[in-house]
Amino acid sequence: MLRQVGPFVGEAFGVLADNRTRSFLTILGLIIGVAAVIAIQILGKGMAGAVTGVLGSLNDRSFYLFPNQQQADFTKASFTVADIDKVHAAVPNIVVAFPAGYVARVVTAGHEHARLGISDASDVAFARVPLIFGRNLSHDDVASAAHVCVITNVAFKRLFPAGNDPVGSSLRIGERRYVVIGVEGPPTQGILPIKFGGDISIPYTTYEHDFLRSRPLFAAQFIVADVSQIAQTEAAVKAYLRTLKAGRSEYQTFDRKTFSSSIDGIFAALTLVVTLIGAVSLVVAGIGIMNIMLVSVTERTREIGVRKAIGATSFQVLAQFFIEALLLSLVGCGIGLVIGVGVGWLVDRFALVAISGVVPSLPWLQSIAIAVGFATIVTLVFGTYPAYRAARLDPIEALRYE
Amino acid sequence: MNNGARAVDGPVIAMRDIVKTYKTGTLEVPALRGVSFDLARGEYVAIMGPSGSGKSTLMNLIGCLDRPTSGTYHLDGIDVGTLGDDALAAIRLKKLGFVFQGFNLLARTNALKNVALPLFYAGVGVRERDRRAAAMLGEVGLGDRATHKPSELSGGQQQRVAIARALVNDPAVLLADEPTGNLDSQTSEELMALFLQLNRSGRTIIMVTHDPETARNAERVIRVRDGLVVADESKMRI
Repeated sequence: MLRQVGPFVGEAFGVLADNRTRSFLTILGLIIGVAAVIAIQILGKGMAGAVTGVLGSLNDRSFYLFPNQQQADFTKASFTVADIDKVHAAVPNIVVAFPAGYVARVVTAGHEHARLGISDASDVAFARVPLIFGRNLSHDDVASAAHVCVITNVAFKRLFPAGNDPVGSSLRIGERRYVVIGVEGPPTQGILPIKFGGDISIPYTTYEHDFLRSRPLFAAQFIVADVSQIAQTEAAVKAYLRTLKAGRSEYQTFDRKTFSSSIDGIFAALTLVVTLIGAVSLVVAGIGIMNIMLVSVTERTREIGVRKAIGATSFQVLAQFFIEALLLSLVGCGIGLVIGVGVGWLVDRFALVAISGVVPSLPWLQSIAIAVGFATIVTLVFGTYPAYRAARLDPIEALRYE
Repeated sequence: MNNGARAVDGPVIAMRDIVKTYKTGTLEVPALRGVSFDLARGEYVAIMGPSGSGKSTLMNLIGCLDRPTSGTYHLDGIDVGTLGDDALAAIRLKKLGFVFQGFNLLARTNALKNVALPLFYAGVGVRERDRRAAAMLGEVGLGDRATHKPSELSGGQQQRVAIARALVNDPAVLLADEPTGNLDSQTSEELMALFLQLNRSGRTIIMVTHDPETARNAERVIRVRDGLVVADESKMRI
């Protein structure tokens, strides 16, 4: 089979090379279409990677609980620390539940001061940013409501510009002092300016006492034991709290999957739109290829007559023109592939990496599959008819053609 | 050099009462009105006649490019009137070699690959193709022009390449349609000498022409007029 096809390929290359400008213009639409589709695929993947990077600080095992914002009396849906404790006691699979608090305060360290966000945390291990100094919050810190804090690299640079190890020194927030026990390093991923929580993390027990007291809460954070059951746990928490509020309030939960899937949805829609535009340009390109193949068949009517007189079967003539169309498509899609991957790579490298810190891997196999797939489909749909016309030519008529 | 044992020992071409009618709308135009003749292996025959005589139609039928409306045609023992398109293509490939007035070589392809084309359609491997094509080019005196493209060859040389292409599958019949029509008289002479030489080494040749000079070397002349054979004469070669 290959031996049969080989010379056709060489011949087809010759024909295409003889009509270089025409061939190039013919496949231009194909180049643009394939390049657009592949570039957007790569960008979509890069975006997904960037989102994952941004969400690096959000733990898989945790979810947030909020009152549903579309309800008549939002303020009535607030809950207290005591409510959360009841939920914790009633719903299985919860390791720890605590208020998700955030306040902005002026923080002072020696002569340096800055307005920073303060939030609470538990000692249960998060996939956090590695520390450059000190340690994370411990169980004892939480149990004893210790006045200690872990600070982010941002806070470290603002409050300790000299860059010395600050562990053991204390920060002043209002009238209270907190001993620095740990400093986070610069994040390796997820540099988008979205951060869950503030730059100063203190034990949630301490936070409840110092900032919350018995004020109503509008958010709580839960950490589950079995992540595969997280959806059921979220449902149970909402149901329990609703019962606790006598069915008058609605709640919603929010985990990493909810967040990333909503962003993924946006990119999926974007990818779909660009892919559709690409598909339209591929149809246009296919019609161009069909047109040029019909011209080629007409121009070479006499040649087809000679081939048939010599003894070529209709199928062999069909194969020749089909391979020519296929080659045209493959070259177009190949160039489109290179351009698409190139553009995708450049945008990934210089735009997405800068904001997310994630270097995405190029989906080579997928891109090649797209290019070859499009080439095959375009050829099958638009190359068959001209090849069929060539194969059906009457040799006597064809030989007489001038 | 050629042939070897054929399937049958009878005439290589046997035509009986061949009728060919073309239909143009409701009008029926008779092109051949009952042609019969036999051709023995190794003969060199010229089919002559003025334009409109039906000689082109006869040529197309002999060449298996067309089917008769009625009558039977045996080529090398095979009843080709009953064959389908692919079987006819196979007959053209294996049993017939065409030489055209306008050479009809592939312009982008060098002499060797042009000659090798029928072998390609016959499914012969590339090395064997090139070897046999080169040998065939040598036989028509163009062994040193294998890599030249048609545009780099003279008319006479192009027609030699075409003859080599027609012979490369070792056909039962070499069919030439006005082979010297596009050539000057000097080159025509050389080409006719080549045809004579091929016939003397055992090739069966049918030449369709209206030119008595071109038909000069044929040992038999079939004259066609108004769709009928009006004369079939054998002669001594000059």
